[in-house]
Amino acid sequence: MNVPRASLVLTFVLINLCIRVDADDVSSSTADPQQRLSSWLDSRFEARWKSNQVDPPAIVDDAAFLRRVYLDLCGTIPSVSQARDFLANRTVNKREQVIDQLLADPRSSRHLARVWRRMMVPGNGPETTVATQLLEPWLVSQFAANTHYNELARQVLVTSPDGSMMRLNPGQDGENPSASAGAYAMVVGQTPDSMAGASTRFFLGVSLNCAKCHDHPFAKWKQQDFWGMAAFFANPEATGMGRIRSDKGREYAAVFLGGEKATIRPDQRGTEVLVNWMTSRDNLNFAATAVNRIWQHLYGRGAVSEIDDLDRVPAEERSFFLDDLGRSFATVDYDLRWLMASLCKSRTYQREAASKAGSSPAEVITQRPLKTLLPEQVFDALEQALNLPIGKADDSPRMNGTRVQMVAKLNESTTNHPDEFRSGIPQVLLLMHGSMISNATDLETSRTLRAVVEAPFFDPQEKIETLYLATLTRKPRSQELQSMLEFVREQPELQQQKQAYADIFWALLNSPEFVLSP
Amino acid sequence: MTVTSFFDDFHRRDFFRMCLAGATGASCSGWLGKLARAAEGAPPPKACILLWMPGGPSQTDTFDLKSGHKNGGPFKEIETAAPGVRISEHLPGLAKEMKDLTIIRSLTTTEGDHGRAANIMLTGYKEQEAVKYPVLGSLVAKELGQPDNELPNYVSISSTNSIFRSTADEGFLGPQYAPLSVSGNSNSPQARANMAIEFLAPPRRIARSQTETRFRMLQVVQRDFAERFETDSVATHRSNYEKAERLVRSQAKNAFKLDEEPSSLREAYGRNRFGQGCLLARRLVERGVPFVEVALSGTNARTAASWDTHQDNFDQVKLLSQVLDPAWSTLMRDLRERGMLENTLVVWMGEFGRTPVINEMGGRDHFPLAWSTVLGGAGIQGGQAYGDTGPDGMRVVDKPVKGPQLIATICSALGIDPQKENFTDEGRPIPIVERGTVPVHELLTTRSKTTL
Repeated sequence: MNVPRASLVLTFVLINLCIRVDADDVSSSTADPQQRLSSWLDSRFEARWKSNQVDPPAIVDDAAFLRRVYLDLCGTIPSVSQARDFLANRTVNKREQVIDQLLADPRSSRHLARVWRRMMVPGNGPETTVATQLLEPWLVSQFAANTHYNELARQVLVTSPDGSMMRLNPGQDGENPSASAGAYAMVVGQTPDSMAGASTRFFLGVSLNCAKCHDHPFAKWKQQDFWGMAAFFANPEATGMGRIRSDKGREYAAVFLGGEKATIRPDQRGTEVLVNWMTSRDNLNFAATAVNRIWQHLYGRGAVSEIDDLDRVPAEERSFFLDDLGRSFATVDYDLRWLMASLCKSRTYQREAASKAGSSPAEVITQRPLKTLLPEQVFDALEQALNLPIGKADDSPRMNGTRVQMVAKLNESTTNHPDEFRSGIPQVLLLMHGSMISNATDLETSRTLRAVVEAPFFDPQEKIETLYLATLTRKPRSQELQSMLEFVREQPELQQQKQAYADIFWALLNSPEFVLSP
Repeated sequence: MTVTSFFDDFHRRDFFRMCLAGATGASCSGWLGKLARAAEGAPPPKACILLWMPGGPSQTDTFDLKSGHKNGGPFKEIETAAPGVRISEHLPGLAKEMKDLTIIRSLTTTEGDHGRAANIMLTGYKEQEAVKYPVLGSLVAKELGQPDNELPNYVSISSTNSIFRSTADEGFLGPQYAPLSVSGNSNSPQARANMAIEFLAPPRRIARSQTETRFRMLQVVQRDFAERFETDSVATHRSNYEKAERLVRSQAKNAFKLDEEPSSLREAYGRNRFGQGCLLARRLVERGVPFVEVALSGTNARTAASWDTHQDNFDQVKLLSQVLDPAWSTLMRDLRERGMLENTLVVWMGEFGRTPVINEMGGRDHFPLAWSTVLGGAGIQGGQAYGDTGPDGMRVVDKPVKGPQLIATICSALGIDPQKENFTDEGRPIPIVERGTVPVHELLTTRSKTTL
């Protein structure tokens, strides 16, 4: 853990304060700051459940926990042996161990980079390609190094958009040396106004774009607010330092969102001044937006309902836990990995998903929804479940273009809300009949299936259990097991029995449980 | 109950269900359903077939000839069934259908870039960063689509030409209004114009009975999960799989089985991708699909650039016309003979027109200033040539029509209020066409005018 000692102490103090305020029952004897944050979060949620007069959802069992944490932190599901090992492991703190282990896994940086790339560049337009090829690899390197979030913001905003630090050369492939923070500017459109709109939304959770052309119809923002932010990104040679001319010809000076006029010294860049203000601990929206996005990623739902419209969220909604969590994040110098570890180690994270949507907003905000797997997660989970080769020489689906095609097809129906599932008919048909699933459920070609079906040491029950573990990371419930055994035993011939396992496997891969993570 | 018996059962029950639907007149599908609804007094549902001409077709060599002027080129004008309306000699079939077609010769737009122009023409709006506007097909699918239709509400046939089209079609309306794309790569006259929904058919080594077994097992596998989680996402998953299963079982109501059609009709449409695509469009509309797009892109190596004829314009336009004419005129006739024409709007358009002036390479370049589109069928007063581009075709001299007006006119012809608002994710109301846009009333039948 590379958090400066001083900030750990601060966190300690801060979290202590928070606990004093609303949850005296949390033990203060424990010295681990991560655990303190987890406990504090749990106490907030438990108090809310109590006041809503509902029981807190149960803590998930080990199998469900393992699948969840693998998908959230590494973007894929555990293998059968990883699942078996974890289930058999008797260590008391095995959940904490696996969280730390997964956060250090190289797959984790790749997965988190994908998640953040989607948050930074939402939608599925043509700009997604540039974001995937140039921004995402840069994000991978930042997550691998655990670059703190304020530093990440600085690089994204200061590197752009004047071009001086951008080395964009999309013609090259391989390691892609052109990947850089400047790709963000390239993706959103390298003009002061597009950078202002995009970065205000992404880093501060405020959608200003409406105010570009007219005063915002239902928020407080005026055109002055928009162009005041755009002025930080303006080229000083055009209108002088920190000034911009709008597309209607009016001149505006750089003003921090909210009204404070900025002073930009001649030796500074506008974006530097903006980032200093943005990432300062006094600017709670920066930390709050970050933790809101992290919480949405981990829990499937933001800490407040409107992630990109934080300015329109009522204060009482923010005071549930968002603002205080943001303060804690600022106190640890915006250490993303530390924060994610703390959150995953909470009881709140480890509770069961809601079986149906709550009736009031206060209830909904505490509920973990089912989370729809991202396109890359679907592929990676299939690859794991099917035990597919991953090398170039093996003509693996990862390398031979199958992955790209599948991800592109699934992307067509992917939204920015983890709790939404919109897959359409083309996506369903791809999963039903596409080559990957077809080969995987064919006795001739499937690795997993053949290993299971032909294994002489497995009885039918063990075969079915293995198929469930490989796909859903759990053993079948007894009723399920009975149905499956019956189905296999109904088959008159050995070959048909083998085929029955293939059909079970197909059904498991196409089941809602495979793509909707509880 | 064994799995096998379940499926025998399924087929039997399915058969009964269909018989019952027929007997009671409940909307099962296609024109039978439509006739039934018409008999009950409800207006029959309308549909739109968009013949999309990527690249930008030359108006001067198709529907707005300038015979006698140096801009005119070598093509001759011929008389049509509509008195006074003359078109290219390479469109003889359409000349016979002209009473049901109306040419707009005075379309005037400002965008000369393929992607942006296509976007403007199909959405009615100038592209913007903040709002992703949906295209006509998605808008119509939303307004006219039947939620219980077994087929998708927007089908796009071989139009995946990324050079001439960008951005996601459905825009902010969301993926449920995205087109289902039908692949159709082969243009060989021998190929059964390989138009199909990708992965609709199970892999060849999977027997039909096994497909049913798998669907059945999926029911069993998901039962527990569906009981534990009564969420929208699980419901959507189930309904999508049910839709897909129905589509697989019915093989899209055999819409794609073009070999059910008489061979002579298939010949008449033209044994090529576009011709067979038009036939497929009719079959889809017949089965309740409200919007079908068929693109006429490169028909062979010489017309690989589609209508983007910067050089060698005349040979290419002639070749493309020879594909366009039989397909489209047969479509008009076929729709009329089946009683579908008065409820099916056919739209012919590209992203812009081409320069009346012929360039040094015998080509014509991008020209948005004064160009043509053609409408016919539902809600359209046929037999007209609307607007005028003068003797040289260089500008609109009478009755200019702007892009959004065309969308408004199409909507009106389909009985859709062009000012109806949809809402973006941010809650911003966006009317189907910009506020204040007026449809071209002269093009509409009295009936569709009065319903406005």
